[in-house]
Amino acid sequence: MKRWLYAGLLALGAAAPAADALAQAAPRNTLVVLREIDADNYDPPRSTARGAGEVIYMMSDTLVSLDWDQRTVRPGLAESWTVSEDGKTYTFKLRRDVTFCDGKPFTARDVVYTIKRWIDPATRSPVRWRAGPVDDVVATDDYTVEYKLKEPYGELLYQLTLFFGSIVDQATVEKLGPNFGVQGFNGTGPYCWGSWSPRQDFVLTRHPNYRWGPPLYNNPAPQVDRVIWRIIPEANTRLAALQSGQGDVTQYIPQFALAGLRNVPTVKLARQENYFWDFFMGFKVDKPVVSDPAIRRAINLGTNRNAVVQATFFGAADPADGYLNPRTVGYDAEAAKMVPRFDPEEAKRVLDAAGWVPGPDGVRVKNGERASFLLYSLQTTEWRRMSEAMQADLRRIGIDMRVQLWDATVGWGKLATQEFDAFMMSYPYISATDGFSLYFDSSNRPTPNRMNWNDPETDRLLRIAKTGLAESDRMQAIAEAQRRITAANVWVPIAREQLWVAASQRTEGVRPHGIYGVGLYKGLDIRLTR
Amino acid sequence: MSAAIEPLVQQEAAPPKRPGTLARLLREPAAAFALVLVVLVIGAALLAPVLSPTDPFDNDLSLAMQVPGSPGLPLGADAQGRNMVTRVLYGLRVTLLMGLASVAIGGILGALVGFAAAYYRRIDGLLMRLMDVMLSFPAILFGLALAAIFGPGIQAVVLALSVATIPLMARIVRGSALAVMGLDYIEAARATGMSDARIILRHVAPNCLSSIFVFATLRFGQVILLGSALSFLGLGAQPPIAELGAMASDGRNFLFFAPHIAVIPCVAIFAVVLAFNVLGDALRDALDPRLRT
Repeated sequence: MKRWLYAGLLALGAAAPAADALAQAAPRNTLVVLREIDADNYDPPRSTARGAGEVIYMMSDTLVSLDWDQRTVRPGLAESWTVSEDGKTYTFKLRRDVTFCDGKPFTARDVVYTIKRWIDPATRSPVRWRAGPVDDVVATDDYTVEYKLKEPYGELLYQLTLFFGSIVDQATVEKLGPNFGVQGFNGTGPYCWGSWSPRQDFVLTRHPNYRWGPPLYNNPAPQVDRVIWRIIPEANTRLAALQSGQGDVTQYIPQFALAGLRNVPTVKLARQENYFWDFFMGFKVDKPVVSDPAIRRAINLGTNRNAVVQATFFGAADPADGYLNPRTVGYDAEAAKMVPRFDPEEAKRVLDAAGWVPGPDGVRVKNGERASFLLYSLQTTEWRRMSEAMQADLRRIGIDMRVQLWDATVGWGKLATQEFDAFMMSYPYISATDGFSLYFDSSNRPTPNRMNWNDPETDRLLRIAKTGLAESDRMQAIAEAQRRITAANVWVPIAREQLWVAASQRTEGVRPHGIYGVGLYKGLDIRLTR
Repeated sequence: MSAAIEPLVQQEAAPPKRPGTLARLLREPAAAFALVLVVLVIGAALLAPVLSPTDPFDNDLSLAMQVPGSPGLPLGADAQGRNMVTRVLYGLRVTLLMGLASVAIGGILGALVGFAAAYYRRIDGLLMRLMDVMLSFPAILFGLALAAIFGPGIQAVVLALSVATIPLMARIVRGSALAVMGLDYIEAARATGMSDARIILRHVAPNCLSSIFVFATLRFGQVILLGSALSFLGLGAQPPIAELGAMASDGRNFLFFAPHIAVIPCVAIFAVVLAFNVLGDALRDALDPRLRT
């Protein structure tokens, strides 16, 4: 009797999780996307989170789109465009067959409203600057928009591919007020707002009329009825969910698991080579110790980048031997060569020559000051491992790096202060000018220019790179800016993240894109076989 | 043979000597084991610099995640390629120190509050309500708040755990002090004109010591568990300091690939907490006058 009872209990114990898994298995024609964190809101100009972009790209469209090579601008809601001789007026010809999710036809007035709302100070968009020096945006007829600038802005088309300029419907924005993108949405995208349970899941339903997808996809219309964006914060749980069929796609693959996942037959992995998301350490160049160029050079020389990146990412990232990805528009190979290569002996010589002599505890000293500096970063597994590995490298050359990692809830606030000497961060970019204007323009102090880099020559070069009329002038200027910054060792470039997307057996057509770090972009080619 | 003689010897030694606390403690096998374990743990922590085969901060990334039993690495290496033996020894040190500091600071302050509440009955109500307010804050939540304000670090953890210990200690001390306060010799001491401080220190405190000691030992185990939890959440020790909770947190991501990185520090935490809990229990039994024979 007792034995039967035990056997029954055992069977029940084994069956319960299986039944649970079956109950949770992804339903027919519903794509379940797994991700790590949610976004604070889904209003295009009001969130800078990658998590917001993931859903907004599916709910709405931008005027122009970005091809898989991350450099060719392709049509979006605008089927064609022209740029005036002086580079100040962009004329967009819009598609005529587009409707919003509520059925309302899309016209030039929606574009005017969207762009004006983006740059309106009342919207308080943290990315207002991305729209460029806008003079005015006018609808010359129902399907023509003139985007007028105060001065040329060579980055405009790239910036307009980002989700911040996604077209929204005025009536819905006004009806929902501050709750737009929180309680509802109305866009022209392949999917429409279904429901949002913050930190749990976001349900999207297919936009039935949609057939105006960007030409980079084989299909102009979505192939799946519903998309559910599900949050699973714990890496191992997310992996298990993918392997057991509770989820179909994820780009949030823990680095340590990537190699193992290649051997799992039920999981398909795809990589996007043109992916620009870099990890770096930046110095506050006006703080003691790290204000010394010799210290910054020695830290660059003393960091065993390959080993640090291997220990942190287990092969799922590439060591960054330059400030930018070689596949980026505007990348300068000369500047990349100026980044010091790992050479601890040279690091010690640089420090000796600059008067930093080893002190009693092994940390170098100059004029009574210890070669010690405080690093801030966020409390995640990657930053912890990366900072710890670098800390050990720097100890060997006599530099003491104190590490303080903050929880993300307070971390971003702390990273906007002047309390620290160096910081570690990662960021997405589209082009050299995009990345460098963000971080090295003196007007972007104290954040995102957390280095307090205040150099009129850099500002001048960045200005030419942004507003120069001839492309050759712009490229020349951004190349010079890269050499200038690299020579000063304002950063330690560390790693280039790789973009991988893992998908279940029943999916087809999953191809990682990576615009602003977003893996699926519009996902128009994704199909489910069962 | 000797059994026959022994009663005679005992009879000669009159009156029969009451066995000491230590002897009573050692009578219980579990307690003896716990005591040995505690001594070993403290010894290992104190001698960490001598016992450790390597420098605790020195990494060798080529050895990362080596499994236990690899050449020169009896407990393997962590994700940074540091010897786990060294890390655990230094981790024990930090963890024990964290526990000791929290129990000492929280215990002393709590005992002072407890004595004050028992001795000066006018402020008793006020002090105890204040302790009730403090009791209502969960230690983890308090640690989170402190870490958000002052930044994560061992100091924040010690502060949070000390504050969480104060009301518990205050209540226990107040209880036993109240019992002592009702005795005649306190009245007598008052009558001879002794100062309040002297009465508390000379007559009340020594009679409460056993309960303070027992509680502190039991609390030590709890504090280590809480402190490790806070470190696990990333609020405690910052890199490169070895701390058992932080080490477990570090290894959690590799649970499927290199389980030893998380399991070894967890086993260490388990052993330390168990040892202190069993010891605390045994101490209570040994020091309880009602159980004395």
